[in-house]
Amino acid sequence: MLKKLWAQLLGTRIGRSVFRVGLPASNLQRAQVAISSFLLHMQPAKVHQRTLKFSTTLGLGLITLYLFFILIITGVLLMFYYVPSTDLAYQSMKDLEFVVTAGMVLRNMHRWAAHLMVIFVMLHMCRVFYTGAYKQPREFNWVIGVILFILTLALSFTGYLLPWDQLAFWAITVGSSIAGYAPIVGEKIKFILLGGHTVGQAALLRFYVLHVVLLPGAALVLIGIHLWRVRKDGGLARPGEPAFTQEELPATALPTTKSYGLMELAHGTTPAVGVEPDDEVFTWPNLIFREILVFMLVVVLLLVLAIFWNAPLEEFANPVHPPNPAKAPWYFLGLQELVSYSALWGGVIVPALIVVALVALPYLDRRRAGIGVWFSRERKVALSIFSICLVTMIVLTIIGSVFRGPNWSFQVPWKPNIVAEER
Amino acid sequence: MNSMSGANSNRRDFFQLVLGWGAALFAFCASLAGAARFMIPNVLYEPNQRCKLLKPEEYEEGATFIAESRLFLVRKGNTFRAVSGVCTHLGCTVLRNSKGNGFHCPCHGSQFNENAVVTGGPAPRPLPWYLVELSRDGRLVVNAAHVVAADKYLVV
Ligand code: HEM
Ligand code: FES
Repeated sequence: MLKKLWAQLLGTRIGRSVFRVGLPASNLQRAQVAISSFLLHMQPAKVHQRTLKFSTTLGLGLITLYLFFILIITGVLLMFYYVPSTDLAYQSMKDLEFVVTAGMVLRNMHRWAAHLMVIFVMLHMCRVFYTGAYKQPREFNWVIGVILFILTLALSFTGYLLPWDQLAFWAITVGSSIAGYAPIVGEKIKFILLGGHTVGQAALLRFYVLHVVLLPGAALVLIGIHLWRVRKDGGLARPGEPAFTQEELPATALPTTKSYGLMELAHGTTPAVGVEPDDEVFTWPNLIFREILVFMLVVVLLLVLAIFWNAPLEEFANPVHPPNPAKAPWYFLGLQELVSYSALWGGVIVPALIVVALVALPYLDRRRAGIGVWFSRERKVALSIFSICLVTMIVLTIIGSVFRGPNWSFQVPWKPNIVAEER
Repeated sequence: MNSMSGANSNRRDFFQLVLGWGAALFAFCASLAGAARFMIPNVLYEPNQRCKLLKPEEYEEGATFIAESRLFLVRKGNTFRAVSGVCTHLGCTVLRNSKGNGFHCPCHGSQFNENAVVTGGPAPRPLPWYLVELSRDGRLVVNAAHVVAADKYLVV
C-alpha cells in the first residue's frame, strides 16, 4: 500500500525531477539509486556482505555520525534563544527550561547527545583498534579520526561553559588553567583562549564562537573526508583483503585537456578488487535500510533520555566561591586525577603523549596481521599495550568521578565525605 | 618573442619566481600574522588591579576575605599584608583553614601556611603577596599588580 503510494509519487513528473530514479525494481535500478542520488552516492552501489554484519562495526561510527547531526539540529534551535553574555546566558538557560515550549527537551537532547557522542567516538576508536582496521591503507584515515576525536572533546568542552552556572564556570576555570602549564607558550595560549586572564565575558564569547561555528565546521569537513576515505580505502577492512599496492598510473593515461579531480589519482584498491560477485550485495535496500533503522534507534534512545532525565543547571556562576570539589567534565576527570598529583604531568605531558601515540600507532604497527578480525591472536603485543592504557584511563576517570570528595579527599561513593561550609 | 629566449627568459623566470611567488607568500604570511594578532585583545574589561578598602581599624585580627578582588587582607596587631586568594594550582579560590593560620584549596587540597608557602598538595608556587598602601584619606589600598615578599608589612 505504502509502497504503491511511493511508486506513484516517484512516477510523477515532479517526483522524477526530484529523485531522478523511481523505486527500483531491477538490479540496474538498485545500482542507479545509489549512484544518482546526492545523499546516497556517498556510498558505493554495492558493498561487501561483511559490511552489513553488525559485529563488523557494531554501528559505532554510524551512531557517532547521527549524534553529530542531532547535535547540529538541536544546537541551531537552542541558538535562537541563547545569548552569549555573562548577564544573560544563565537567564536564557532558565528560559529554555521553564518558558520556551519544548525548550527543556531540546536542551536535554543536546546535552545527552553531546555526552553520548564523546562516549561513542571513544567506543568507535576502540572498535577500529581491536579489529586492526587502521593498518595500511587506512593509516591516514585513522589520523583524521584522531583529529575528529580531539575536535569532539573540544566541542563538548567549549559547550560546557555556555550555561554560565557554577558547574560551567569552575570546570572551565580548572580546565583552562591546565593549558597554562604547557612550557613557554602555555600562559599565552590560555590568554588567547580566554581573551583575558580569567574566565569572563571575553572567554564566554570566544568559547561560543568556537562552539557554534569554528569547531562544528571543522568537524563537518573532516567527517566528510573521513567517510570518503573509508570508501576510497576499499570499504571496511576485512580479513584476506588484497595487500595494498600503490598503482603507478602512466602519465599518458590522463588526457591533459581535462582537469581531473585528485580522487581520480587515488590508489587502486576499490571495493571490487579481489571480491567474488557473490560476496557483494546492493547498497539499496540492504545497507540503507539498516542505516535508517540505527538512526531511528538512536533518536528513540535520545528522546527517552531527554524526557526522563534533565540536564544539570546549578546556581549562577560565582567567581569567588568554587564548589567543593571543583571538577572538570567527566571525560577529563582521569586527567584531573593526574593533575591533582602534578599539573605538568596530568595536564600537559600525558595528554600530549596520548595524542602522539595515537597518531603514530598505524605507522609503527605495520604488520599486516589480524586486519578486520576482532582481538586477533597475532596482535598480542599491540592489544596488550592498548588495553593497559585504556584500563588505566578508565580507572583514573572512575576514581576522579566518584571516589573524590570535598578537598579532593578520597571517599567511597556510597558514603560521601561531608565538610562544613567555611568562610 | 624569439629574441627573448636564453638569458632573457631565464631572468624572466627568476623574477616570476622570486617576485611573484615571494609576494604571494608574503601576503599570505602577513594575513596569517594579522589574524593571529587580532586574536590578542588590547583592552581587557577586567576588575581593577588596584583596589581600595576600608580604614585599617575596620578589619579584625587575622585574615579577611575581599570578594571583589579575590584576596585576603591579613591583620596582625598594627601590621597589614594582602595575599592572593587564587590557588596557584588551577585557579580555584582558596579558603582559610579551620585553625586560622593558613589557607587550603577545596579543588585538589593544596595547603598553604600563614606565609602562603605551599605545605601540601599539588600547588607549584606560594600564593603571591601584594603591596598594601595607605591612601591620602586614610584607607587601605591593595595593588595586585605589585607582588612583594611575604615579610613586607604596612605598619600603621
Ligand atoms: C566525529 C567522529 C567520527 C565519525 C562521525 C566517524 C564515522 C565513521 C563511520 C561512519 C565509519 C564507517 C564504519 C563504522 O560505522 O564504524 C568509520 C570508519 C572508520 N573510522 Fe571513524 N568516525 C569518527 C571518529 C573516528 C576516530 C576517533 C577514529 C580513530 C582514531 C576513526 C577511525 C576510523 C577508521 C580507521 C575507519 C575505517 C574502519 C574500517 O575500515 O573498518 N574514526 N568512521
Ligand atoms: S586549584 Fe587549588 S589545589 Fe587545584
